[in-house]
Amino acid sequence: MFLGRVAGTVWSTVKWPQAQGLKLLLVRPYRVGDLPPGVAAAAPGAAPAAGAAASEPTDDLVVCADTLDAGPGDDVIVAFGHAARVAVSEKLAPGSKPSVPIDAAVVAVVDRVEIPR
Amino acid sequence: MIRGTVIGQVWATRKARGLEGQTLLLVAARDAEGQPTGRLVVASDTLDARAGEDVTVAFGSGARNVLRPGPDNRDLLCDAAIAAIVEGAG
Repeated sequence: MFLGRVAGTVWSTVKWPQAQGLKLLLVRPYRVGDLPPGVAAAAPGAAPAAGAAASEPTDDLVVCADTLDAGPGDDVIVAFGHAARVAVSEKLAPGSKPSVPIDAAVVAVVDRVEIPR
Repeated sequence: MIRGTVIGQVWATRKARGLEGQTLLLVAARDAEGQPTGRLVVASDTLDARAGEDVTVAFGSGARNVLRPGPDNRDLLCDAAIAAIVEGAG
């Protein structure tokens, strides 16, 4: 799993029937250097803050299925692989569980990240 | 698996049902030389790992085997789990 921020939404009308009704989000993963400056300094291998805004994630975007109604600006946890299919399966039509073509899904909307100094 | 350092804990109220009851830790990954890569991983914890401790994180079915060993664990929602607390590496 990874921690990321929702950057946008993806629409699609032509897709696998098993994926009908699934909302797709664009999520940008956080890296160590994206954490708040004080935390980044305490964390191993953090890039120097260099005065830049350190709260914006910088990595490549991941397309994720979303069943928790997350929206742009939300911090979320994304699971990959079989765990992603487990997360979305309860929201899908019966019979579509094993074959849903999804490998990433939002599994939690983050309230708080606690990082001891 | 990867090796990394626990740097904190993530809290969420709105979450998939399968995630309820799991402790989720934020782990900063290290490479083969022990140098931090910048990558952050969220992993389920059953070993009571603390911030600052070095750990190994297993992915995929290996992670499910940490939560519940055996073949009947494909219903679990888990793709990353702390598999060991590292005491040393050479």
